[in-house]
Amino acid sequence: MLPTFTLSELENDALIEIFNIGVGHAAASMSAIVNEAVRMSVPSISFIPRVEAARLLGAGSGDSGPERICGVSQHYDGAFETEAILMFPEDKSLEIVRLMVGEAVPLKELTEMEQEAMCEIGNIMLNSCVGTLANIFQRELHGSLPQYHVGTSDQILSATAAGSQADTVVLMLHIDFLLEKHQIHGYVAFVLAISALHDLKDQINLYIARVMGQA
Amino acid sequence: MNSLRLPLLESVFSAVNLGAIVLDGQRRIALWNCWMTKHSGLAHEQVLGQDFFSVCPELRGGRVEAAIQYALYNNFPSLLSQTLNKAPFALYARDERIQQAVEVTPIAVEGAPRHCLIQVSDVSIAVAREKLLREQAMVLRSQTFADGLTGIANRRHFDVAMEKEHRRAKRGGTPLSLLMIDIDHFKAYNDHYGHQKGDQCLIQVAAALADMLKRPCDLMARYGGEEFAMILPETDVDKALLMAEAIRARAQALAIPHERNTDPSQLVTVSIGIATQKADAPVEMDALIGAADRALYQAKRSGRNLIAAIQPI
Amino acid sequence: MREWLKGTDRDETMTSTKTVLIVDDSRVSRMMARQYLNGLRAEWVIEEAATGEESLVKARHTTPDLILMDVNMPGMGGIAAAEQLRQEFPAVPISLLTANVQTATRERATAMGIGFVEKPITAARIAQLVATLEAA
Repeated sequence: MLPTFTLSELENDALIEIFNIGVGHAAASMSAIVNEAVRMSVPSISFIPRVEAARLLGAGSGDSGPERICGVSQHYDGAFETEAILMFPEDKSLEIVRLMVGEAVPLKELTEMEQEAMCEIGNIMLNSCVGTLANIFQRELHGSLPQYHVGTSDQILSATAAGSQADTVVLMLHIDFLLEKHQIHGYVAFVLAISALHDLKDQINLYIARVMGQA
Repeated sequence: MNSLRLPLLESVFSAVNLGAIVLDGQRRIALWNCWMTKHSGLAHEQVLGQDFFSVCPELRGGRVEAAIQYALYNNFPSLLSQTLNKAPFALYARDERIQQAVEVTPIAVEGAPRHCLIQVSDVSIAVAREKLLREQAMVLRSQTFADGLTGIANRRHFDVAMEKEHRRAKRGGTPLSLLMIDIDHFKAYNDHYGHQKGDQCLIQVAAALADMLKRPCDLMARYGGEEFAMILPETDVDKALLMAEAIRARAQALAIPHERNTDPSQLVTVSIGIATQKADAPVEMDALIGAADRALYQAKRSGRNLIAAIQPI
Repeated sequence: MREWLKGTDRDETMTSTKTVLIVDDSRVSRMMARQYLNGLRAEWVIEEAATGEESLVKARHTTPDLILMDVNMPGMGGIAAAEQLRQEFPAVPISLLTANVQTATRERATAMGIGFVEKPITAARIAQLVATLEAA
C-alpha cells in the first residue's frame, strides 16, 4: 500500500515549500498577537501509517506509559477531505500556551480560556497551511471550527472521523517553532484516505506545470 | 406559514442574545442585529450597506480582518479567543468594554457570492471569574514563595514575577519600574546591636515597605541579605520616583535607632535605586535589573538615605 | 543604487542585460523565480544558489545586479548571508524572500538598507521588483 506512494524530489520540494509559506504566514499572524518575533518552518514532511504517526508523538516511553499530548483539530472537505491536527508533546504544549498567553500553568490546570487560546493557535496555523495549499492548487474547500483534544497521540489521531478508518495515511509535517529564544518542535498531521494521495500528487504536478507554462 | 418565515427569521436574528453581523462578498454590512446596536451605539440604518472597515477602522490589518478574508475567500471559519484578542470590537455594557469571544463563519447564499457571519459573545463574567480564580491560585502558590524570616516574597518569587511582568509590559506596551532597596550600613547594625536585633530590623522594614504596595500586581521581595526589590508594573518614572521617596521617608519614620549609621538622624535608613522601562522602549530584563543596581550604588555613593534613578539602555 | 558592478571576466555587451542571483533552498522556488524573471526579461542572466554559503561564492564570481535571498534556509540563513553580501557588495540591491512578514522583518530590512518580497512569489510581485530595479 504505502511503499508504492512516493513523491519525486521535485514534488517533495514543491510541497515543503508550499507548507513553509503556510507556516510563514501563520508565524506573522502570531507575531502580531504576542508582539514578539515568531519564526516557524517545516524542515521535512513524511507519509506514514497512522500507527507510526502515533509513535512519533510518544505513544510510549518506558514504564510511564504513553505520554499525553495536546492537539487541535479541524476538518476540511470539498475538493479533498482531510482531518488536520496540530500537536505538541505535553511539555511543549505548556510552553507554547505559556509563551502565547503569558501565564505559567501546568497542563492539568489549563483553564478553559487557555484551551480556547490553544484552539485559536491551531485555527491560525491549520487555516494558514491548508489555505495556502488551496490557493496554490486553486481548489475549493470548506473548513470546520477548531476542536481541542488532550490524550495520547493514538487517541487523538483516532478520535477524528477520518482517523478511525483503516485505509488512511498521515502526511506529517515537522514544525520548528521559535519564540523568545524558545525552540519548540511540533507536528501538523493531515489524516488522508489513500485515494487522496494520488490526487495530491496530481495537484502538485499541475501546479509545477502551470508555473512553468507561464514563462 | 410560509409568508411568516422571513419576518420570523428577521425577528429572531435581531433578538438573539449575542452580536451578529453579516458581511457580503464586498465586506459591506448586510445585517447588524439589535445586540450590536445596543452595545456599539450604532443604529443599523447607520451601518447597513457600509464597508465594514469604514465603520470599524481600528480592525483593519488585524486578526478580525484576516478571519473575514479566510471566510469570504477560503471558506474557512475562524475563532478569536478572548485571551489572545482583548476586546477587539468597541462594545460596551455597564460603562465597561465587553470582553469578547468572536467567531467568523462563511455563509453560502443561493444566488449570491459567499457572505460571512461574525458572532460576538459577551464573556466578561467568565473572564472576571477566571481572574479571581487565578488570583486565589496565586495566593496559594505564593505561600511557597515566601521568605522564611520576613514573610514577604522570596528571591525565587521575585525571579518568576519579574520575568512575567517584564513580558507583560513588553506585550501590553506599558511602563515597568523596578526599585532596589538596601538598608544602609546593615552590617554595622548587626555588629553593634547583634543578629537578633538585626533580624527584627529586617522584619520591621520589610513589613512597613510591603504595606505600602497598593495593587495586587505590585510585588515586594527580599532580594538578598539586606536588599529588597520592588516590582511596580504600569508605573512610569515619575510615579516610581514618588513611590521611592515615600519608601525612603517611611523607612526613616520607623525611627529604629542606628548609632552606627552615617546618616545624621542616627536612625535606620535605606538607599534606593530606580530603573524604569518606558512604555514605548522595552529593554532586556537584565538591563533593567542592572540599571536599578547601578542606581542603588549611585545612591550609596552620594551619601545614602537617598534615591537615585538610572535609565536602562 | 546607481553603480553597476561589472564582472571583469564577462563579455561586455551594450544591452541593459542584468544578472540576478536567486538564493533559495527550494528548487521549485528558484525555478519559479527564474521563470517569472525570464518571462519579463528574457535576456537577463539568472544564477542560482541553494544556501547562504553558496550565495557568497556565486556572488563573488558573477557580481550580480540584484540578489533575491530566501530568509528561511538551513545553515547560514538568509539574513546572515544578506548582511555579509551587504558588506562585500554595498551597491547591489538585495530583496529578502519571506512568507513571514512581521515588524521585526521590516525593521531588520530597513536597518540593512534592503527590501523584501512576500511569498508566495507571484508574477506581479516580480514585475514590481523589476520595475524598481530599472528605475534606480
